[in-house]
Amino acid sequence: MSYDDREALAAYAQARGIGFPLLSDPDSAVIRRYGILNTLIDERDTPFFGIPNPGTYLVDESGVIVEKFFPRHIAMRESADTLLDSALGELLMGEASSVDAGDEDIRVEAFLHGGGGTLKAGPMRRLVVRFTLRDGLHIYGEPVPDGMVATTVHVTGPKGFHAFEPVLPPTEPLTLPGLEAPLHVWSGTVDWVIPVYADADLFPIDDEPAQREIELELAVRYQACDDKICLVPRTEQLSMRIPLGGLEVPSLMGMGEVDQNRAVEMDSAKYFAQLNARQTAARGSRDTEL
Amino acid sequence: MSREERRDEFGFAGPLPASHRLRKIHDPGFPTGPEIGERLPDFELEDHTGRRVSLHADRGNSKAAVVFFRSAVW
Repeated sequence: MSYDDREALAAYAQARGIGFPLLSDPDSAVIRRYGILNTLIDERDTPFFGIPNPGTYLVDESGVIVEKFFPRHIAMRESADTLLDSALGELLMGEASSVDAGDEDIRVEAFLHGGGGTLKAGPMRRLVVRFTLRDGLHIYGEPVPDGMVATTVHVTGPKGFHAFEPVLPPTEPLTLPGLEAPLHVWSGTVDWVIPVYADADLFPIDDEPAQREIELELAVRYQACDDKICLVPRTEQLSMRIPLGGLEVPSLMGMGEVDQNRAVEMDSAKYFAQLNARQTAARGSRDTEL
Repeated sequence: MSREERRDEFGFAGPLPASHRLRKIHDPGFPTGPEIGERLPDFELEDHTGRRVSLHADRGNSKAAVVFFRSAVW
């Protein structure tokens, strides 16, 4: 939903191959009713006044909000893939840019989730480190007793690449004889999810990006044990090459096929002029009322 | 304008200087509308094909994502 005219949304949908409804709220009535009119923009800043604080609500079958995403900064919004993961309650695999290490006991994979495995300025991506443990094995979360190794992931990338703290799945308690406090362990398939984004050092606005891909280095340290013995702690070094850029296209599955090679351009200047005329008239009538 | 003048506190660059009033950034706690656990307020609006869409009636008994975005034009 946006404050754009129906005609502008139709042109946008055609240019981007969008199959889901784009809703037009030209007087920002719903935006106001929701209480999300962007009040950082002055009423006199035509035609920008009228936009919402951008964000997304996910509702369940009964229409109740189960999740919402409202970033402080538009350039740090969640990607469509993240919204889908949240709606489906799972992380979808099958991305490009994946690497793996390990053996038949413990497999460690890393992949960039969202945008088909590419990084661009704007939507956040998620770097996923997935541990797949043989039945009976577990790895440790903090805190661990002396002499044992908690799982850590350290990511390094070029200037302009930012990684947040990992989002960890809940641990299970494991009580061992001789230990006072239970240990905190993960078993089975364990996903560490690291939100990442790129800033203007990688995507300068006045230049082409200096590089077409970046290299990330991941140091993944862990110790796996079963209920009797512990394996030697390991550090896996994973190198990932992440492509930069590319057109950001909606990837909501089954809701309109997108041909990434199509080159239909929207006449933005024309629709901007229409938007400006409409918002100028609205401002005029507001001023008259005052 | 130097590259640094275009960079905001998050490290992003835009065509306007970061100090411009149109590049203000919300403080934490800014209004984000209805809260988790509430029913999303109903609305009826025209979509890009000209069809009237009524949120709760038209989603049937399905889950839905409602995305508010800035503009498709600029």
